[in-house]
Amino acid sequence: MRELLTFLRRNTLAVVGLVILVALIGLITIGPPVSPYAPTKLDILHKLEAPTFAHWLGTDAFGRDVLTRIMYGGRATLTIGVGVVAIAFVIGVFFGMLAGFAGGWLDSIIMRIVDAILAFPALVLAIALAAAFGPSLQNAMLAVAVTLAPQFARVARSQALSISVKPYVEAAISLGLPTHRILLRYIFVNGLGPLLVQSTLALGSAILQTASLGFLGLGAQPPLAEWGADVSANLQFVRSAAWVALAPGMAILLAVLSFNLIGDSLADWFNPRRRNELE
Amino acid sequence: MASFIIRRLIALIPVMCIVLVIVFSLVRLIPGDPAVTLLGPGAAQEQIDALRAQLDLDQPVILQFANYVFGLLQGDLGFSLKSGQPVTNEILMRLPATIELSVLAVIVAIIFGIPIGVLSAVRPNSIFDHITRVVSLIGVSMPAFLLALILQLIFATYLGWLPVSGRMSSFLTAETVTGFAILDGIITGNFAAAWSAVQHLVLPTAVLAAFLAATLGRFVRNTMLDVMGEDFIRTARAKGLRRSDVVLNHGLRNSLLPAITVIGLKFAEMLGGAILTETIFAWPGIGRYMFEAIKNRDYPVIQGTTLVFALIFVLTSIIVDLLYGVLDPRVRKRME
Repeated sequence: MRELLTFLRRNTLAVVGLVILVALIGLITIGPPVSPYAPTKLDILHKLEAPTFAHWLGTDAFGRDVLTRIMYGGRATLTIGVGVVAIAFVIGVFFGMLAGFAGGWLDSIIMRIVDAILAFPALVLAIALAAAFGPSLQNAMLAVAVTLAPQFARVARSQALSISVKPYVEAAISLGLPTHRILLRYIFVNGLGPLLVQSTLALGSAILQTASLGFLGLGAQPPLAEWGADVSANLQFVRSAAWVALAPGMAILLAVLSFNLIGDSLADWFNPRRRNELE
Repeated sequence: MASFIIRRLIALIPVMCIVLVIVFSLVRLIPGDPAVTLLGPGAAQEQIDALRAQLDLDQPVILQFANYVFGLLQGDLGFSLKSGQPVTNEILMRLPATIELSVLAVIVAIIFGIPIGVLSAVRPNSIFDHITRVVSLIGVSMPAFLLALILQLIFATYLGWLPVSGRMSSFLTAETVTGFAILDGIITGNFAAAWSAVQHLVLPTAVLAAFLAATLGRFVRNTMLDVMGEDFIRTARAKGLRRSDVVLNHGLRNSLLPAITVIGLKFAEMLGGAILTETIFAWPGIGRYMFEAIKNRDYPVIQGTTLVFALIFVLTSIIVDLLYGVLDPRVRKRME
C-alpha cells in the first residue's frame, strides 16, 4: 500500500490516468440506472438533435440519447477489453511459461508459433480471423486475444527462464514437486509483476482493436451499444451532426489513454533505471 | 554479410511455414461448410459443389495445402469470388497506392517523431517534455478512425482546404505509368494531376503518420535518456565537447539504432491501420480492398491480402536487421 502511494505521488501521469479511468467507470456504473433514456429506444421525432439540456450529447439518427448509448456502450467496451486481455493472458502465459520452463523442442515449437503470429500486423490478423469466424462480438474478442497472446507468451517465457534457475525452484524440483505446481506456485507467482504491467498496456490495445473491428462491422452487432460500432453507425451523419460519431470516438480515446497512462508509468516504475530518475 | 543474410533467410523458413498454415486455415475456420455459409441457405447443390471445387475444398486437406503452396510459388493467390479476377493482379494493381501512402507516412513520422524525442530527452521533466509526453500518449491512444474523422471535419468540411477522400480529383484524367499518382503526374507532365494527388495524400498521411510519430517520439526520448546516462557521454562531456556535439553525435547516433527497429516493427502496425485509414478516405489501396472483401465475404481476397501484409512485415524486419549491420560496426562484426 505504501509502495502504491509512493508510486502515485511520483507519477502525475499515472494519477491522471487513474482519475480518467475512475470517472469512466463511475459513468458506466452509475449512469445507466440514473439516465431517463434507454439505449435502444427509438424516438424518431427527436433524431439528430444537437446537444441540449435534455440530451447532453445530443441524439443519434434514431433519436437515441448519445450519452446513454455511451454509458451502456462503455459497459460493453470495457468488459470486452478486460475479457480479451484475460483470454490473451491465460493462453499466452500458459504457453510462455511452459516454453521457458520446459526448454528444448517444446520451447522451439511454441516460440516459432509465437513468431509466426507476430509476423502479421496485429489488426490485420484480428480482422482476418474475425472475418473467418463470422462477425460477432465473441468472435472479435477471440480474434483480438489471439493477436495479443504472443506478447504475454514472450514476457512469461523470459520470466520463466530467469526464475527457473533460482535456488528455490531448484529446491522445489529436487523435492519432486509436480511440474504444474512449480509453474503455478513459484514461477507464475514470482513473475507476475511484469505480466501485470503487460496486461495494463494490453488493455489499451485490446479496446482499440476491438473498437476497430466494431468500426469495420466485425465486432458488436446493432442494436447493441458499443463505442467502435457506434462511431461507424453514425459516420454518415458526421457532416450535419458531428457529435453522434465524435462522442463515442472520444470515449474510446479516453479509455485507451487512461490505460496507457497507467501502464506506461508502471512500466517505468518496474524499470530500475527509470525508477531512479523518478525518485 | 552474405552468410548473415542466408542464415536470416533460413531462420525464416519455419516461421513462414506457420504463417502459410494460418493463412491457409482462414477459409477452413469458417464454421460449418464454408461453401454453404458463403452461398447462403437458398443455394442449389450444384452451386455449392462448384464453389467447393473453386475453393479447392473437395480434396483432402493435405492436398489442399500442397496445391495452395504450389500455387503461391507461382504467384497464384486464387480468384476473387466477387470479380472473378486473379487476386494477385488485383493486389498488384492496388499496391502502389498503399506503398505511396505508407512510405510517405513513415517519412513524415521520422521528420516529426525523432526531433520531438530528442528535444524531450535533452530537457527531461521540462514543460516541453511533459507536453510532448502527453501529446504522444494521446497519439498512440487515438483510434485511427477518430483522428481521420476530426481531420476530415476540420480541413475538408469546415475549412475546405483539402479534399475529403479519394486519390485524385474526379475532374482530372491521369495516365498510369508506375501506379504512383504523384510520380506519374510528374513523368507525364500532368502537373495538375500531381498536385491533386499531393492534396489528396495530406490527410490520410497525417492520420497514418500520427501513430508512428507518437510511438517514435516516446521511444527516442526513452532510449536517449538511457544513452545520455552512459559512461561515454560523460567522457565526451569531460573532453569539453560542445553540448550539441554530445547530444547529436554521441547521444542521438546511439539512440537511432534501436529506433530503426521500432520504425520497422511499427511500420507493420501502421499497415494494419492502413485498412481503417484507406477505408475512411476511400483510398484505393490494399487496405480498402481487404475491407471490401470482408464485406463481400470474398475469402480468397482476404487470404491474399493477409498474406501480402505478413510478407511486407517479414521483409521489413529483414531490411531492419540488415540496416542494423550497415549502421553499427559492432553488429556488422558479429554478422561476419
